Amino acid sequence: MQRCARCGWLSYPPDTICSSCLSPEGSFAWETVSGRGALRSWTVIRTAFLPGFAPYVPYVVAAAELTEQAGLRLVARLAGEPGPGLVYGAPVETVFEDVAEGVAVPMLRLLES
Amino acid sequence: MSRARTSTAGPVAIVGYAHSPICRRTDTSLGALTVATALAAIADAGLTKEQIDGFTTGALFPSSGGGALVDGVQIVTSDWLVERLRLQPRWLAGFQGVGQIPGAMILAANAIASGAADYVLVHRAMYNPPKRYHENPLIEATGSHQWTAPHGLWGPPAQMALAYNEYMQRYGATRDAMAEVVVEARRNGSRIPWSHWFGQPLSVEDYMSSPMVADPISVLDCDIPVSGVGAFVLTSGERAKDSKHRPVYVAGYAQGRWRSSNSLDFWTLDDIYEGGAATAARLWESAGLEPGDVDLPQVYDGFSPMVYFWLESLGYCPVGEAHRFVADGGIRTEGGLPALSGGGALGNGRMHGVPQTLECYLQLSGRAGERQLTGIEVALACQSTPNFGGVVAYSASPPG
Repeated sequence: MQRCARCGWLSYPPDTICSSCLSPEGSFAWETVSGRGALRSWTVIRTAFLPGFAPYVPYVVAAAELTEQAGLRLVARLAGEPGPGLVYGAPVETVFEDVAEGVAVPMLRLLES
Repeated sequence: MSRARTSTAGPVAIVGYAHSPICRRTDTSLGALTVATALAAIADAGLTKEQIDGFTTGALFPSSGGGALVDGVQIVTSDWLVERLRLQPRWLAGFQGVGQIPGAMILAANAIASGAADYVLVHRAMYNPPKRYHENPLIEATGSHQWTAPHGLWGPPAQMALAYNEYMQRYGATRDAMAEVVVEARRNGSRIPWSHWFGQPLSVEDYMSSPMVADPISVLDCDIPVSGVGAFVLTSGERAKDSKHRPVYVAGYAQGRWRSSNSLDFWTLDDIYEGGAATAARLWESAGLEPGDVDLPQVYDGFSPMVYFWLESLGYCPVGEAHRFVADGGIRTEGGLPALSGGGALGNGRMHGVPQTLECYLQLSGRAGERQLTGIEVALACQSTPNFGGVVAYSASPPG
């Protein structure tokens, strides 16, 4: 993820201006984050408005708040079956799925709590 | 009551309106329907089209479907309208943001107050496309979409579902509570002759069995896509004294200012509350009012959870409590706060902020017919969400 070199704020999605200290482009550094966090919301998509997702329906899109920074949210599809572990605050980790040649997307997976 | 800040060169008032029938598909073009509705609104105000020297709208087509838009077909701008009315108005503007009716009303009020125009026509034309509203053949996402579309998050229903589920999980809200909202909107909409849902109230059972689009958003938590046009005529308080109908005054306003560390396609509940509190504070300061001064707060309900976000942001109940407030009958027009008395979007169809604004106008001018409520002096018309859209306060008496 993109960290501001001036104030240390993590921006996701990446930004051109730091949303915390307003430092402009050029003062960011990329760093690896833990990918771990707490589940804050999810939705079960029943209708695919984009053609690429028709084979996946129904699928869960989840929103996690990452441990690195309050309010830092990652939105991604849920890996694996939803099950009873799908509760507010549940611990999650990030995994990657290869969806095409040279293309991997992050997904969120529930951890044993 | 504190002193209002929206003091301008003088008050501005709505002096006439017209509304087309709301239908799934129009027999005529949306442009032709807009010309007819605009002329009807001008006639309702007792004016001729040559007297209208200002025009504005927010013409956004709120679909995620992509594709080219043709003015006069899927959208109708004020530019298109004045050309077809064969007019050369002194003032014309388009509102670019979201919360199109409040946005256009605020532009109109300030144009009149500044003397840029004497009579302004505000219209809103909504179009229902032949394909699914948010369906898009997109296979490669760019811009802000690249952080959400590759995860299968696309379009307002899923966006709203994430915020609503966060609300439900955090505050223990249930779909039973939301049934009160949707049934109330449809009950009121069923009494409005131009509504898509005229004569069609909804039962709690039908709401509860409504199929899911993006859990917890079901089909009936979304307003139904429609085609239709609403139009209003505004002028100065001074000119309004001679008008055919009782004037309804603009008493204050506020707009949401989007701020999020996330994407426009992904809203967190805290984004909504943070922005909503700021919008509400600006509204009360602008109007010199407090929540308790308002008799008719018409909240926005394009998606049902937006009702909760407005009720809480405006201060009608604490954050996290709106679901209990509505479950206890808090927004029933009979005996509660008339927050959806005009049917809203859920009870009329996807007319954006038109139903809320029209209900304020009809109730404050005494033109609501058999639906007329008593003792309505101050009203609010909300649109979109409190962090992103806008709200206008209206009053039966000149403000100040």
